[in-house]
Amino acid sequence: MDPRDAVNAETGEANPYLPWVAADPQPFYERLRAECPVSSMEGMAGLGAHIISRYEDVRWALRNPQIFSSDIVAVDIGQDRPLIPLQIDPPQHATYRRVIDPTVGPREIAGLEPEVRRVVNEVVDRFVERGTVDAHAEFTVPLPCTVFLQVTGLPIEDLSMFLEWKDEIIRPGGGMLEPEEATARRHAAGRQLYDYFEGVLADRRRRQGEDLISRFLTTETDGRTMSHEEMLDILFLFILAGLDTVTSTLDCSLAYLAQHPEHRRRLVEDPSSADPIVEELLRRETPVMQIIRVVAEPVELHGVSMSPGDTVILMLGSANTDPDEFGPTAAEFDPDREANRHLAFGGGPHRCLGSHLARLELQVALQEWHRRIPDYELAPGAELAYSPGIREIEHLPLVFTASAPVG
Amino acid sequence: MRIRLDDDACVGHGRCYVLDPSTFGPDDLGHCELLVAEVPAADQDRARRAVAACPEGALSIED
Repeated sequence: MDPRDAVNAETGEANPYLPWVAADPQPFYERLRAECPVSSMEGMAGLGAHIISRYEDVRWALRNPQIFSSDIVAVDIGQDRPLIPLQIDPPQHATYRRVIDPTVGPREIAGLEPEVRRVVNEVVDRFVERGTVDAHAEFTVPLPCTVFLQVTGLPIEDLSMFLEWKDEIIRPGGGMLEPEEATARRHAAGRQLYDYFEGVLADRRRRQGEDLISRFLTTETDGRTMSHEEMLDILFLFILAGLDTVTSTLDCSLAYLAQHPEHRRRLVEDPSSADPIVEELLRRETPVMQIIRVVAEPVELHGVSMSPGDTVILMLGSANTDPDEFGPTAAEFDPDREANRHLAFGGGPHRCLGSHLARLELQVALQEWHRRIPDYELAPGAELAYSPGIREIEHLPLVFTASAPVG
Repeated sequence: MRIRLDDDACVGHGRCYVLDPSTFGPDDLGHCELLVAEVPAADQDRARRAVAACPEGALSIED
């Protein structure tokens, strides 16, 4: 468990993909920021894979997409074309955001609150009588996917199929496969997902409804509506970006609060404190540890030269616990901190477009969980395994005082 | 107290209008819109916190 294994200050190399880094990243982040603010991916020194770890540097990189591009080569997740708008650079990027952002903007999302609250309670009802739960398998995984099906008007029976595709694409074979096999499995699942959405789009063109997909189909920007391919590329991204990220944030949040009863007491006593508590969980836990960019213009940072084509890992988790930004209490959990300018949703033009929906889901999920399950803890002997990159917890066994379902 | 909004820097994190909905509001894209020219004394603490919470530094206090 020695974080020294993950950072080699002499060679300037580091490896954020080790399981114990994901489980307890703070010591790793601290060494990165202090000893090698621009490090190389372990075993790749000189090969063009850089890790940027200080708050100001990460923020600067996020805000300069002409240097740090989001071009498709950055990430292969089984897609045919660049994901819209994640893998599109400015200026074209802004056109897509003008179409998509209003459909997932704060006003539209606020209208979903009763529906999300109903879904959360339905999910809780399935295990609340039992007094034990694998909160990952039974709460944090089904919740965001059910909400997605609800807002897109897709049949709830498709839930298990979606979850399978998502896992095949994000971590085929549980993340243990050889790269070639993983890529092949990703593309196979990607194909099925495209085919599924082909059918959905054909259906929506025939019978338009009030759901998110119907609204995309009819929204005009710059004098036109989205093409068929563009719609597919947006929906593909929604699945990948919208499900795992909320799952991992709820995993990290429940695991943290299960082990820190003093912090969850406030949520139990005052549900309106969900906003600052969620923001502080996003900051301190930063479930999406890092995001990837590709260098588009030669640039130098802290004496390290980066060349076009180099891969850059922006370590959001490290930025979010940098004392230069958050002061001497950066490592502590403090929902009342004076300013919380965390970058858990990224920043600059690519700021997470699902952040309003994510925040609603997180706040409502934690409010309802704590209303119905105020007392809980890790099951005796539980050892939590966090996945690197996106910090999901494989099994999150909790025990609590059982109560009756409400539905 | 007056607030300055840098439209080019705002990307719609939306912290300002959550923390102080009487001074800031969302436009159609979820970007920030100033709702008042002059922040009344009673709202100034809240407005200051909202300005400080912007990850893009898009908000500043003019006087």
